[in-house]
Amino acid sequence: MTVEESLEKLQIITEKLDRDDVSLEEAIALFEQGLALAASVKEQLEAAKLRIEHVLEETKGTFSFDAFDAS
Amino acid sequence: MTEQHVYTVSELNRGARELLETQFADVWLRGEVVDWKRAPSGHIYFSLTDGTSEISAARFRGRLPVSPLLDSEIKPGTVVLAFGRVTVYEPRGRYQFVASRIQPVGAGALQQAFEALKKALHAEGLFAPERKKPLPPFPRAVGVITSPSGAALHDIVSVFERRWPIARLYVFPSAVQGDVAPKELADAVDRASRFSQSETSLDLLIIGRGGGSAEDLAAFNDEALARAIFACPIPCVSAVGHEIDFSICDFVADVRAPTPTAAAELATPNREDLITQLTNQVLRHAGSARRVLTDRQEHLKRLLHPATFRTPTTKHETLSQQLDSHLSSLARDIRRVWRRTATAAAQSEALLAASNPNRPLERGYSITTPLGSSTPIRSVDELLPGAAIETRLKDGRATSIVNEVIKA
Repeated sequence: MTVEESLEKLQIITEKLDRDDVSLEEAIALFEQGLALAASVKEQLEAAKLRIEHVLEETKGTFSFDAFDAS
Repeated sequence: MTEQHVYTVSELNRGARELLETQFADVWLRGEVVDWKRAPSGHIYFSLTDGTSEISAARFRGRLPVSPLLDSEIKPGTVVLAFGRVTVYEPRGRYQFVASRIQPVGAGALQQAFEALKKALHAEGLFAPERKKPLPPFPRAVGVITSPSGAALHDIVSVFERRWPIARLYVFPSAVQGDVAPKELADAVDRASRFSQSETSLDLLIIGRGGGSAEDLAAFNDEALARAIFACPIPCVSAVGHEIDFSICDFVADVRAPTPTAAAELATPNREDLITQLTNQVLRHAGSARRVLTDRQEHLKRLLHPATFRTPTTKHETLSQQLDSHLSSLARDIRRVWRRTATAAAQSEALLAASNPNRPLERGYSITTPLGSSTPIRSVDELLPGAAIETRLKDGRATSIVNEVIKA
């Protein structure tokens, strides 16, 4: 799941939790879901390492990559 | 009869040079270029004519290199205005005009061309606000069109590493100055579009270079490049390194940034902000869940006798035997929830600890408050010259008086 999708899901959870007719079971399940989701996004963001590719075009429409060291 | 002085050739040439250099030290000269040659040394040799008479001329490469732009602007036939002095090249006894400045007549020809192109493209709708594509909030695949060895790429990489390392950068190398640059840049934009269609869909394109002289940046005023950017389906950020002037590329891009660093910052969310946002959201969820639980508890309390419900974990075992199935299921809910909220509370505490305001101090940041207050100052709008403020650092505090308020 992308960060964007996770954030959208979290927003939906927020809205559901804010509704008056949410049941206790549902509220707990939603809270747990949100917690797991937020934790996974946080982990993704913290662990991410930027990848850089140098793109070369062999012939029109055929590409090759070079891992790129910008430092 | 007095004895005539006999000059040596060298003496005569030196004398002539001194005379000419004194007499014609600061001369404006107008003429048509007859020959225009750039020597490997970087010096330029040419002649000027007015149709009747001709003079050899040179433009020496000084401390600053002669702009490569001159080559594209000046060719045989161009009428130029040159400023310089007349001198003699002693070894050959040849006299010549040495130009320190040279420009095509109708000065600012380049500026005029820029204005004309800007006007034409504007009229054609290439800069239309409604054609601007919005930037994606969370770009994953980002194309970068710049010199692979330039400072711009390094700056962009640094910002992405700090703010948004979850992205992947695809570098499309191109020259960013000189005669070949406009075509290479336009080709790179097309290449990025093809790449986005056939390989990896790109969310964003950053095109630019670091700061330079107006002539260095001229490649970004090219019409073909403007059209390539306009035709590109990927949102484009232009990052041509100049704070004040705009390039044609800036006008046609979806977003313009003053520098490559600024472009990368505009293009990326900050992961630390996002993590704070996530933390707040989880805390809010916990609050909502707790509210639902409390409501249920109240409801159950109303159904049961308040006195018998004071210790639910021990009492409701017996109570549930007496209540109908609906009530007993409610009681189970609550028992389970007591357990779960204990876990949730622990997690919330951990999250709260993570957002503890003192944490940034450990990392070397400081917090500024009005003197005697604990509310952090978040904007210069809250400050006036003469205000007493207190700055908290990891290992102590300092108080100061605001000298000047400068809004960024």
